[in-house]
Amino acid sequence: MFVIIAGGGRTGSQLTMLLLGQKHDVHLIEHRRDILSHLHRELPTEVIYEGQATDLRVLEEAGIKRAQVLAACTAEDADNLALCFVARTQYQVPRTIAQVNDPRNAWLFDEKFHVDVALNQSEVLASLIEEEMSLGDMMTLLKLRRGQFSLVEEKIPPGAKAIGVAIKDLALPEQCVIAGVIRKGKMLVPRGATTFEAGDEVLAVTDRQGAEQLAALFAGPRPVRPPVP
Amino acid sequence: MNVIVVGCGRVGADLAYRLYKRGHQVTVLDTLASAFNNLEPDFRGRTVEGEVLNQDVLRRAGIAHADAVATVTNSDAINAVVAHIAHVVYHIRTIVVRNYDPHWRRVHEAFGRQVVSSASWGAQRMEELIYDPNVYRVFSAGNGEVEIYEFAVPEPWAGRTLGELLPPDQCAVVALTRAGRATLPDRDTRLEAGDLIDISATLEGADALRKQLAKP
Repeated sequence: MFVIIAGGGRTGSQLTMLLLGQKHDVHLIEHRRDILSHLHRELPTEVIYEGQATDLRVLEEAGIKRAQVLAACTAEDADNLALCFVARTQYQVPRTIAQVNDPRNAWLFDEKFHVDVALNQSEVLASLIEEEMSLGDMMTLLKLRRGQFSLVEEKIPPGAKAIGVAIKDLALPEQCVIAGVIRKGKMLVPRGATTFEAGDEVLAVTDRQGAEQLAALFAGPRPVRPPVP
Repeated sequence: MNVIVVGCGRVGADLAYRLYKRGHQVTVLDTLASAFNNLEPDFRGRTVEGEVLNQDVLRRAGIAHADAVATVTNSDAINAVVAHIAHVVYHIRTIVVRNYDPHWRRVHEAFGRQVVSSASWGAQRMEELIYDPNVYRVFSAGNGEVEIYEFAVPEPWAGRTLGELLPPDQCAVVALTRAGRATLPDRDTRLEAGDLIDISATLEGADALRKQLAKP
């Protein structure tokens, strides 16, 4: 694939190295002198294009007309938005990806500016941390639909509410499906009549809210930590 | 009219003050409260401090009820993006964008708003004045891509036709003024010394005309 990356900061340069390692064709555009000298030490010269990505001559020189993907990773949200907009409207680039620097600007990163995918690092990180804090022993195996849904795994501890209850009688959250039960090392395909036992490992596909409700169903009778005086 | 001016630098402060003096309701936005010091002391419009890409800040500025928006910060990206939001999200009919860095001009054109490129315009005007102060620019269309020039026909060109004098393309005849009376000439019109000719031309057209005028 031929990818143009605008902005050689931490995200842009990391992405360039990753894609080069996977044998993709990558051109990276950067104008800041100090960052360029770093880049020249880490990347092959033919990958680096010097200049402002928002100067269309520079974009054209980097090959925007035949790019399959534009990744706008500059430190300025407005630049990233404008880059996605021109990539689609002027050069018909099929896929645009933009980095969101300030989460408060996230509302702009959609079809308004022809952004196909918005990478909101601080939001992803914050929600991961929040999830880790609230879901206890539940483990997220896979994020689906840009993190809206997840494949999660949870081991049922002794004393959990769900033990002995058939799946059909369990008040499962709406956006949640039990995908599999691993019992004594064997995979059971769950049916409505399947009941849970202590020690079962449950695999479920669920949204964020469903995960919390699921965690409550499968939670053991945990000792409550006394409040810190 | 209810006008929002985004950016309170020299251009923003001047624009806001002019609009206010004409009796319009003006709201000026800037990320820095200190920028409002650029405003004239008797300015009585509203000032809103905040990040201009932030939806709450735009709402506080009353963008939903604005008749016109001018984006005049010294960041071309911010100007283009805020103008685009004003267009697609808030459906503002009148939007004017300041082009700060001439390299950004083509990106502004891609967004399709009205653009004022003061740096390019100023440089081009000075360039013309350096070449020949005898061909005056009297009107500038767009951002100076086409301008209307006025010049007096010099003695050596008397008796010849306008068509011989004017370059074949990049320019069009507007008016001929002889003894205080203006007419619509064509390329066959015979010239007299001292006729005042108005033509509209691109920079290249005006350049070709200057060369013609210089040779007898």
